[in-house]
Amino acid sequence: MAQADLSSPARLQQAAVPAMTPLRRFLMRFNRLFDDARLLPVLLIAPVLIFFIVWNVIPTLWMIGLSFYRYQISIPDSLAFLGIDNYTDIIRDRAMWQGLSRTFIWVFFGVGIQTLLGMVLGFLFWGSKSMPGRRLALTLLFTPMIVTPVAAGLFFRLIYEPTFGILNWFTQSFFGQEVLLLQNPEVAFWAVLFVDIWMWTPFMILITLAALASVPKAEMEAAEIDRLSWFDRIRYIILPHGKYILMLGILLRTIDSFKTLDLVYLMAVPGSTTKLIAILLRESAFEALNVGWSSALAIILLLTAIAFTSIYLYILNLNSKAKAKEVAT
Amino acid sequence: MNRARGWRKTAYHVLLWVIALIFFAPILWIIMGAFKTTDGILAVPPQFVFVPTLDNFVDLFNRPNVLRYLGNSILMSSASVGIAIVVAFLAAYAFSRFKPRGTSFLMFMLLSIRMVPAVAVVIPVSLMYSALQWKDTYFGMIMIYAMFSIPFSVWILKGFVDGVSQRYDETALINGGSRWHIIFRVILPQVAPGLVAAFIFNLIFVWNEFLFSLILGGRDTTSIPVSFSTDLYSDGGVDWTFTASMATVYMIPPILSILFFQKYLLVGMTFGTVRGEV
Repeated sequence: MAQADLSSPARLQQAAVPAMTPLRRFLMRFNRLFDDARLLPVLLIAPVLIFFIVWNVIPTLWMIGLSFYRYQISIPDSLAFLGIDNYTDIIRDRAMWQGLSRTFIWVFFGVGIQTLLGMVLGFLFWGSKSMPGRRLALTLLFTPMIVTPVAAGLFFRLIYEPTFGILNWFTQSFFGQEVLLLQNPEVAFWAVLFVDIWMWTPFMILITLAALASVPKAEMEAAEIDRLSWFDRIRYIILPHGKYILMLGILLRTIDSFKTLDLVYLMAVPGSTTKLIAILLRESAFEALNVGWSSALAIILLLTAIAFTSIYLYILNLNSKAKAKEVAT
Repeated sequence: MNRARGWRKTAYHVLLWVIALIFFAPILWIIMGAFKTTDGILAVPPQFVFVPTLDNFVDLFNRPNVLRYLGNSILMSSASVGIAIVVAFLAAYAFSRFKPRGTSFLMFMLLSIRMVPAVAVVIPVSLMYSALQWKDTYFGMIMIYAMFSIPFSVWILKGFVDGVSQRYDETALINGGSRWHIIFRVILPQVAPGLVAAFIFNLIFVWNEFLFSLILGGRDTTSIPVSFSTDLYSDGGVDWTFTASMATVYMIPPILSILFFQKYLLVGMTFGTVRGEV
């Protein structure tokens, strides 16, 4: 607030007194440069734009270009123009379709179970405001989602370990049965999915709590006075207020679950039942070094992600509109 | 009546604590493992009560590369997030106040960067890095992580700047304040919580990031998550004491940050799109 009364005469006189060293003049000019209403926004956004262009737009354009070529780093002189052959190849590729359908199963069951479980537990935690040690309990509850995914994969490798893992000890001493989870391709997929569910159910609990927090207290109290059944309370009060936040949470989880790589990579299972689409892409790009083909697949995933993002923003808009309406009425 | 209610409340709170502990149990098991001897970890039946030892931590920090990897993780995450926050704050102010043409398109593109599978992003970047010889350099790693952190920071900070009334800007302008003054002296203090939230959660994301580091990094810039996938084998098997103690050390910062900054958890985990407290 030092410059608050710059226009008063006293201030003007004062401003003339400090010696106008070149540095000071430069600094003042520099400061005033920012006041140009046309220049300022450009200057402020420029750094982000530079990052965006150098680290995203240029590489992506490069990749779009390469997706029309045969380009295999391991084979010299393999660069050849193919047109859309890479894309038609991908559409005909069986492994890719298997990976994709596996990914859909992964997303469907993973996000589905996380959502159901998260909503139930979120409801349970709704009335926990007066709980002793709530902050610590919530920290413990939310820890799985901020743990390094690679490390989480390792934890469960130790737990699932057939000879000395705690899970196996448990099943052997109570059911007399040995379980092979990661070593058995048929169940490995579900064993890894279980870890994903463990990691991300807390996220859906968080989202459910946020959705519940957006329900006005007065309406819940009115419902209590009217003795509305819980089913009706959910249907007429909680869902209309919280549905958009829930939808955003589910969508965000869907997008994230679609990209799963670290966890599966580290739990590295023999066979191919856990080869999700991101894993396939990593293998073709960085092990088979088949850059042209991988670029084409990456472009397809990119477009899918953009489509998901537009749905996300659409719901986000609905949410803010609904909120604005609430404030207006 | 009152007493019955008190019992029910206690039972309810105990139930919630049990649920929280169930979710924490696998992590607790690893933390316990970090204080066991190798034989203790591999013991059948599993040891629930044991004499804790600090040998694993002594061994961990005496390993040749662990401190360097840890330093890499700290340096790369804090430097990249620092750069991202400064850059994103300026842009967020511009997007919020001037709404230049294409604002919504840019915001959309920024968000979609975060939605794309990381492999799809890393393929072209890795080609570019090979050509420019930026692979395995701190510059390259910090810049790609900054790029990775910018979208989220812009989104979260724009939300916070939008929340500061334009009246503040106008008042300052009328009184002769420069835009520079407005941005750093008037707006900045008011969006400090947003800066903290953006900083903390980007830090956690970069801290845990694996794929960029695996593909774009190398000997010099190995971070801890990558070392988990490469350094943990000894004598043909997984070195569990190393894994457990390393994981325990590495988990401390994220756990502490959600303990102390719990009220930013929601905005942090939703890329700044959903605001509120839980």
